[in-house]
Amino acid sequence: MTLANALKGRVWLVTLAALIVLVIVNAYLQSNLFTPRVLKSNLTVFLPLVLIAVGQTYVILAGDIDLSVGAIVALVNVVTVTVIAGIGTEDAAAVLAGILAGLATGVACGLFNGFLVAALRLQPIVATFATGILFSGIALRVLPTAGLPVPAPYWRTYAGGLFALPVVLWIFIAVLIAVGILGARPFLRHLTAVGGHRAAAFQTGLAVTRVRIGGYVLAALFSAVASLCLTGETASGDPLMGGSLALGSVSAVVLGGTALSGGSGSAFGSVLGALVIGMIGNVIFFAGLPFEYQTLVKGVITLAALAGGVVIARR
Amino acid sequence: MTAALTARSVQKRFGAAVALSNAALTLERGEVHALVGANGCGKSTLSKIIAGTVQRDSGDIVVNGAPLVLSSPAEAEANGISLFYQELSLIPQMSVEDNIFLGREPRNGAGFVDRKALAKKADALLQRFAPVAGRGLNSKARVSDLSPDQRQIVEIVKVLARDPDVVIFDEATAALDHRQVELFFRIIGEMKDKGVSFLFISHRLAEVFAVCDRITVMRNGESVDDFVTAETDMDTVVRAMVGDIAHDLDPAPSTDFTSASARLVVQGARGQRLQDVSFSLRPGEILGLGGLQGQGQSILLQSLFGAEPLTGGRVLIEGRPVVVRTPRAAVRHGFGYVSGDRGRDSALQGRSIFENMAIAEWVAERRRLVWPGRLQARLSEIAQSLNTKYPSLDAPIDALSGGNQQKVFIARWLATNPVVLLLDDPTKGIDLAAKADFFRLVRNLAAAGAAVLFYSSEDAELIGLCHRVLVFNSGRIVAELERAELTSFNLTGAAYGSAA
Amino acid sequence: MERFRRLLTEPLVLASLAILVLLGVGEFLSPGFARGGQIARILTVSAILGLVSAGQALVVIGGREGIDLSVGALISLGALVAGNVMSGENGAIFSAILAAGGLAFVIGLVNGMGVTLVRIPPLVMTLGMMGVIQGGLVVLSRGIPSGNAAPALMTFINRPLVFGLPGVLFVWALVALAMWFILRRTALGYAIYAMGANERAARLCGVRTGLVRTLLYGLSGLMAGLTGVCVIGYTGNSFISVGDQYVLPSVIAVVIGGVSLAGGTGGYFGVVLGAIALTLLQSVLTTLQLEFWGRQLIFGAVLLGLMLLYGRTKRLRV
Repeated sequence: MTLANALKGRVWLVTLAALIVLVIVNAYLQSNLFTPRVLKSNLTVFLPLVLIAVGQTYVILAGDIDLSVGAIVALVNVVTVTVIAGIGTEDAAAVLAGILAGLATGVACGLFNGFLVAALRLQPIVATFATGILFSGIALRVLPTAGLPVPAPYWRTYAGGLFALPVVLWIFIAVLIAVGILGARPFLRHLTAVGGHRAAAFQTGLAVTRVRIGGYVLAALFSAVASLCLTGETASGDPLMGGSLALGSVSAVVLGGTALSGGSGSAFGSVLGALVIGMIGNVIFFAGLPFEYQTLVKGVITLAALAGGVVIARR
Repeated sequence: MTAALTARSVQKRFGAAVALSNAALTLERGEVHALVGANGCGKSTLSKIIAGTVQRDSGDIVVNGAPLVLSSPAEAEANGISLFYQELSLIPQMSVEDNIFLGREPRNGAGFVDRKALAKKADALLQRFAPVAGRGLNSKARVSDLSPDQRQIVEIVKVLARDPDVVIFDEATAALDHRQVELFFRIIGEMKDKGVSFLFISHRLAEVFAVCDRITVMRNGESVDDFVTAETDMDTVVRAMVGDIAHDLDPAPSTDFTSASARLVVQGARGQRLQDVSFSLRPGEILGLGGLQGQGQSILLQSLFGAEPLTGGRVLIEGRPVVVRTPRAAVRHGFGYVSGDRGRDSALQGRSIFENMAIAEWVAERRRLVWPGRLQARLSEIAQSLNTKYPSLDAPIDALSGGNQQKVFIARWLATNPVVLLLDDPTKGIDLAAKADFFRLVRNLAAAGAAVLFYSSEDAELIGLCHRVLVFNSGRIVAELERAELTSFNLTGAAYGSAA
Repeated sequence: MERFRRLLTEPLVLASLAILVLLGVGEFLSPGFARGGQIARILTVSAILGLVSAGQALVVIGGREGIDLSVGALISLGALVAGNVMSGENGAIFSAILAAGGLAFVIGLVNGMGVTLVRIPPLVMTLGMMGVIQGGLVVLSRGIPSGNAAPALMTFINRPLVFGLPGVLFVWALVALAMWFILRRTALGYAIYAMGANERAARLCGVRTGLVRTLLYGLSGLMAGLTGVCVIGYTGNSFISVGDQYVLPSVIAVVIGGVSLAGGTGGYFGVVLGAIALTLLQSVLTTLQLEFWGRQLIFGAVLLGLMLLYGRTKRLRV
């Protein structure tokens, strides 16, 4: 009873405990886990999901959901590489232009989603499912097949370091700071209120439609940043990038203790949730399971964790 | 000097139902003005229109001399109007202080929420209610952890925190005890002296006479009368509320049931909010459940019907113990349950009247196959016997008015020939004519041998219909009133008797 | 005018109109499009989509944001299992049907229990299950395509049986009849609608909502598994993602057919028309030689357009 009370609204503590256990198991299975090189490569792998999960949190807090995040990742990726290729130079200016175009694309996608769901009042699940199809259709139009390498400065910077720390770590820190800043703004409270009890939030005078659109724009923006990171990792364009990220991000958010019905949870929890999902993959990989069993075991653990997350969050 | 707020010929329809046909009201500066009327007369709709949550079809609303559109709650708030919502406008998952300042959080220079300032302001506001707040009400508590009266206090504080010029209190005292009400009235008095105007809605006329300067009476969506409180009395106001329709029921014939053997016996029933409830119910008897709202009456009915758990005690039907853990088992044991919350508990929205009527019968009769044609004749017969007005059995349920919908849901249970009928405040929000039909029907059912357990939030209904009333307080039966003792005075006395 | 407008937004009318228009467009683009043989082929493809959509429709009608996104993986599973059980033998067709249908039914029941007992939102539950099944497919097949259809099954699905129509169409007609019977002539059917319209009210009328909902997901699984058998009969052999292409169309066919995603409305005949309309649309798009991205755009736009017509949620301000 006291334990249950202590955990009330702090489901992320369970997630943190799970993460620590997974890290210990992983360290046992993989002796060089704590070397800088391995840690960096792990973070590079986990970072996109962390970013998207954070963005997804804001939509889910408001009682909505965004299943188009994977497609947004693909679209932002192909727009970025195409713009860079279109400029044709390999300098920082071209890269910057590409990144800005990618971010703008993300924001546009978020506005479109938000408009459909909040202003036109379509059901979020199917509406973002449908916009996901649209976005990936556009991505295929922009870049029909994988290709178009990005200039070296882009991926070198991403893989490199800054002030003695890897760039991916800086990005991770920046994400945490961004989450902190957003958490201290009134907007987060408004999002939470809209997801907690929409009619009451409306009666209180909140601009419910605008707040929900804001959630979608944030989700899309974080997805766009995730896409830029993935682009730094793969160093090229791929219109089919990001396929499983929608489910992965929802799973991470649920694991992080955010209620799918909205109104309670935190983006920090989602960061932990995303790391847990990444670590599950690691542990399965290093556990020496035959290759063909890995997808199955990962699927089962994810589903079980989702069920557990839903059960715990309900208390 | 212009009035604080004037509403003129405000009209509003919800689909086919007219909620307001001609609402009007003038609220002077620094006055407490009562808005009274029977259930469904349009008080709450008018309040919500003034507060911007409901859109009016036509009519003018003038605040401080300026006509306003009131297109959103935000616009109303910007014009100094604040509404206490009867159903509360709190976010259950959030803390008390976050709720109080939702949408108007104090910020520091960087645009972040100034948590310290927020907590300090919230504490200062809550401090005024500290003597009567009860345990657990503090600025950090989660609203979902609070008791109903504490939530109501938070909603009051939330309204006050907005520094409004015009406040509408819609049943703001419903869950408060008398000490809390006294304090609340003192605060209203202080604010009134500072020039704040209040529109006060309450079903407790004594409160209206205690605190209000003037009274506007509404009936069937229309403002019908204005009174100065000091120059009138309760009888006059009640007559204005009721109008010409004689809604007084003939009192139930007093019948001696002691000889008949009990149909339903409940012994020592316990549950989440029930403590040691015992009674018996005989065929043909209409047994009322009285007391203030939310004292366990509704929970008892839902528990008997298997929708809420009973943790102890026995239930016997015709002398045989039965265990009812699900509504399905209850249906099979011959229970029927009519809820007052039609939208939540009864209506199969979008489905036909036929389906809405037949669904329980299929369960009760253990039917697997359904031949709609065979049932149709019988169902229309039942529906017609209730004076239900409907285009055809195939029309969607949503096309009917509230009263006619409720008749359909009663017909649903009549089709199962129930041996015990559980009525859970069934007349909520239905008009007087439909109510009269409904009462006639319940009487006929009882006369035909059904046993009826009837909870109503209106004492008049209990007095008019019941052979006997059990009065509830805090989940217990605190009094049993026989037909001869059944008066409004006794009911109120018993309800409050052991309170506080 | 009002009546005309209402008639136009009536899903059955809309779907029928869409079918006629698409046939016209197809015939215009490529003469011979609307001829008998071609139509039989389109109907065969529609039948396969229609079968999986039958289960999808049940789940959606049952409400509470019901949707089954695991049908694609279940079709792949059904095809793989059936293919391996048959391995080209006519005598093993029935055991193949039993194995594929039974396994998919059980997995569907697990979906249903996750949704009802654990209360995982259907979308998340069935997407999660999709991941599990796909993992299972990798294990079962070891990544190599295996199993093949019995010749009799392929004939039944691809070759004309009676009146120039293949046998699978008669199966589809039987399923449609069964769906009509369940939804309109059994207490279970009305319980499904009641539950979709208002779950609490249905429970208060004595409907065992948890049991019924679990059954719905089981039936959806069953239909997907049987669709898998048809798919391997249609193509001859299977690969582990053969069913993926049906997930989205099964949802769209249901929506075109007038089943509201909010639950509690619609029937299977609309879905039949929806499946035909959608297959025709795909066929016309292929005739137009539209690339994959163009088809995606049109699909997404059709889905959004339909939602605008039928699927909007309530206003906050009334």
